[in-house]
Amino acid sequence: MISTGNDIVALKAINVARTKQQNFYSKIITETEKALYDEQFSDRLPFEQFVWLAWSVKESVFKYLQRVNPELVFSPSKIKLHELVAPITETISNFEGCDFNSEMVYKGVFDFSPHTFYSRTIITDDFIFSVVNRTNNFEKVMWGIKKINLSDADDQSKAVRIFALTMLNTLFPDAELEIDKNRHSCPIILKDGVEIPMPISLAHHDHWVGYSFALA
Amino acid sequence: MTREETLNELKKVIAPYTVNKEMLAGINDQTDLIRDLKINSANLVDIIIDAEAKYDIEIDYDSADRMTNVGSCLDVITEKINQR
Repeated sequence: MISTGNDIVALKAINVARTKQQNFYSKIITETEKALYDEQFSDRLPFEQFVWLAWSVKESVFKYLQRVNPELVFSPSKIKLHELVAPITETISNFEGCDFNSEMVYKGVFDFSPHTFYSRTIITDDFIFSVVNRTNNFEKVMWGIKKINLSDADDQSKAVRIFALTMLNTLFPDAELEIDKNRHSCPIILKDGVEIPMPISLAHHDHWVGYSFALA
Repeated sequence: MTREETLNELKKVIAPYTVNKEMLAGINDQTDLIRDLKINSANLVDIIIDAEAKYDIEIDYDSADRMTNVGSCLDVITEKINQR
């Protein structure tokens, strides 16, 4: 199963006070995940960022699997954070879009029975951006994030496609590339009008758009 | 509360999270919150929390997972109101 999944949370667009309310965060993280935060991360990561980090990875896992199983229902409580590590020692490769503090890169392991997923998440003052993979090796995962001026849904949709295609055109310089959606609304890459086996995931929130795709 | 009354209240819950006001006015059971109303997935939890407050109900994990289109939202809200 080769797929990809990513997600962005624009930190300027979230409601911090609401995120800290138990009736809100309990829809995203489990009691076990809250306990993990209290024990390991409360001294260096604001709680609302932990909650949205968990959301962004869980949403990425859903996108990864939805391509394979279109009937899948997004169920944050069933995608469970098993391990979270930061800062990580490895270099983040195949990433474009911004500078970031390497201390704010989180490596995670999430379980969605019977699958295990590995994540990389970059947190800046502006966004939380996650990508997931079925192995802990991200050398074949390309991902990028970009700020756009407009935040209307149509503008986001156009901008994220142009952004992803700009990167894809460097890989296939002589081909006519397009990004379309399949009948299950998953984005697909067309090369000279034919879908290629390179899964792509698109994300947008507020003024940020991002992509990830898996190289064969 | 009839299904139509619940729908009218649900429109008010959803309104802050969609710019697609024209489609909101004409929503039906099949209207998908993300695909049709262009609601960002990050706001789905807001809608669930606002619905809990609006209808004085509690929506558990499994029920929340089902709330992807207008029809399923109305089904869950009606179930929870009847359980009060």
